[in-house]
Amino acid sequence: MFEVLEHAADVGFRAWGTNVRELFASAAEALVALAMQPDAIEVRERFELAADGDSLESLLVNWLSEVLYYIDGRGLAPGRFDVMELAHGHVSAVAWGEPRDGKRHPARLVVKGITYHQLKIEQTPERWICEVFVDV
Amino acid sequence: MQLEDIDAVRHRIRRDPAAAMRTDVVVYASRRLLDQISKDASLQQAVNVSMLPGIVGPSLAMPDIHQGYGFPIGGVAATDWRTGVVSPGGVGFDINCGVRLVRTAIGVQDARPKMKALIDQVFRDVPCGTGGEGPIQLQARELEQVLESGAQWVVRQGFGFERDIEFTEARGALPEADPRKVSERAKERGRNQLGTIGSGNHFLEVQYVEQVHDAAAARAMGLEAGLVVVLVHCGSRGLGHQVCTDYLAQMGAAMKKFGIELPDRQLACVPIASEEGQSYLAAMRAAANFAWANRQAILHFLRGAFQRIFGEGARMDLVYDVCHNIAKREGHRWNGEKVDVLVHRKGATRAFPPGHRELPDAYRDCGQPVLIPGSMGTASWVLAGADGAMRETFGSVCHGAGRLMSRTAAKKGRNAREVQKKLEEQGILARSETRDGLLEEVPEAYKDVDEVIEVVHTAGLARKVARLRPLGVIKG
Repeated sequence: MFEVLEHAADVGFRAWGTNVRELFASAAEALVALAMQPDAIEVRERFELAADGDSLESLLVNWLSEVLYYIDGRGLAPGRFDVMELAHGHVSAVAWGEPRDGKRHPARLVVKGITYHQLKIEQTPERWICEVFVDV
Repeated sequence: MQLEDIDAVRHRIRRDPAAAMRTDVVVYASRRLLDQISKDASLQQAVNVSMLPGIVGPSLAMPDIHQGYGFPIGGVAATDWRTGVVSPGGVGFDINCGVRLVRTAIGVQDARPKMKALIDQVFRDVPCGTGGEGPIQLQARELEQVLESGAQWVVRQGFGFERDIEFTEARGALPEADPRKVSERAKERGRNQLGTIGSGNHFLEVQYVEQVHDAAAARAMGLEAGLVVVLVHCGSRGLGHQVCTDYLAQMGAAMKKFGIELPDRQLACVPIASEEGQSYLAAMRAAANFAWANRQAILHFLRGAFQRIFGEGARMDLVYDVCHNIAKREGHRWNGEKVDVLVHRKGATRAFPPGHRELPDAYRDCGQPVLIPGSMGTASWVLAGADGAMRETFGSVCHGAGRLMSRTAAKKGRNAREVQKKLEEQGILARSETRDGLLEEVPEAYKDVDEVIEVVHTAGLARKVARLRPLGVIKG
């Protein structure tokens, strides 16, 4: 689950989940939705993604940078993320999707990078929430 | 944060050692722009920049300044080459984002009847590449050559002329670029993106010279009232973005090693003299070269599109290509002494004055063309670098209008068709690859470019040469 946030020059999102693994999956889905219209993505191919970080914040930034690399460098349209493992500064996940197709998944914004700007990760009694701004 | 007026266009935040500031902040702005600037966090970001180890002179803020990440956009900081730091945030994700101005020999009256055909042709031939794919697929060895020799490689492939290189900053290729310092991921992101514009505030505009303000400089640049020109604004695409991402990720740990503490992680920096600093600079130069190659490839496609509409004799000459996101080692004078500095220009344009040895002969007397894109559908400017920039801002000025409104706010209550229609009523045709591309860049989302230009002209950083008006816009 996620929503888009405002920024003077760029754009961000708030994502949430009942645990950190769900939070990371939601944040990845938010990033995909900034880059393209995700409705028609078919989840037919499997990709393994992983990232490391020395804090939860840097793990989240590096994880989203990994997802961005798959979108922009490998030409993937990921439709679903299953975060398999998230502990000790490491995250591993499986992304399901298909090759990007401009006709079926029209491009929205070219995301340049994930930033630490106003980055927030919070745990409330009900859920985990993050706020992330990206450079576009 | 106490802001004091130096004069009508210069303002200062004095160094506060208690706040870890190492130097003053100097802001170039009119009173009205200053009120707009004060609404976001950009001045605080300029204060944070003043904390960089080895900063020489003040932390500088241009009149188009707005909130960025770490550095404000429209910020300039020079750091001592021996004792200072390099900050990837002072360059930004889009390494060597810049502007290229091309003049035609076509008058606006001759162009108007053909504008629809022209814009459609340019939209077909010069791709935005928002889906990640472009018209050129580079082999691994070719990409290495692009990273080493930038626009010069593109010209060697037959996509342009030696003259194009002469009129590109740094002749389209920074020396000491090292492709080995660019990750495989960055190369993968760049491999298919050469010759594409991208999205966000990047664009290609067909324009005409509305008014000449400095006849001699305009003549040197081949500009005259009524002449059709093309302005291209884009950068190093995914390759440069990934270089920034890669080095920012490494620099957190490196900063701890060097005992550097700053209030914003996005300002991450390392000593220039360190292995980490040198690696970043070698990779940044390679990404900068990719950007110059990109804008050269775009010029090639653009020439093809114009020839299809105006015939094979349609001539297009490069006026200049200048970058506004970069860190460059330059020699300057500060407080009467020669200094060897790394000038970070984050959303700031180099503006060398008449007589500077890096300028092509044609511009020795008038100064470097400084290309300032305005917001979509308003106006853009050609300026010429002036002596004031060398005295005060390490040869730098503003880079655009500067954003005022968030993308979400810009979209609120507007739809793309209405925006397109409104532009058409003003005689401007617009094409966008994405649905929101036009909406997010509406002129109302930006500061008034004329006011920004007035400030740098009054401050003596650059002189007005010509004002350009759009005829057609292509956006990602």
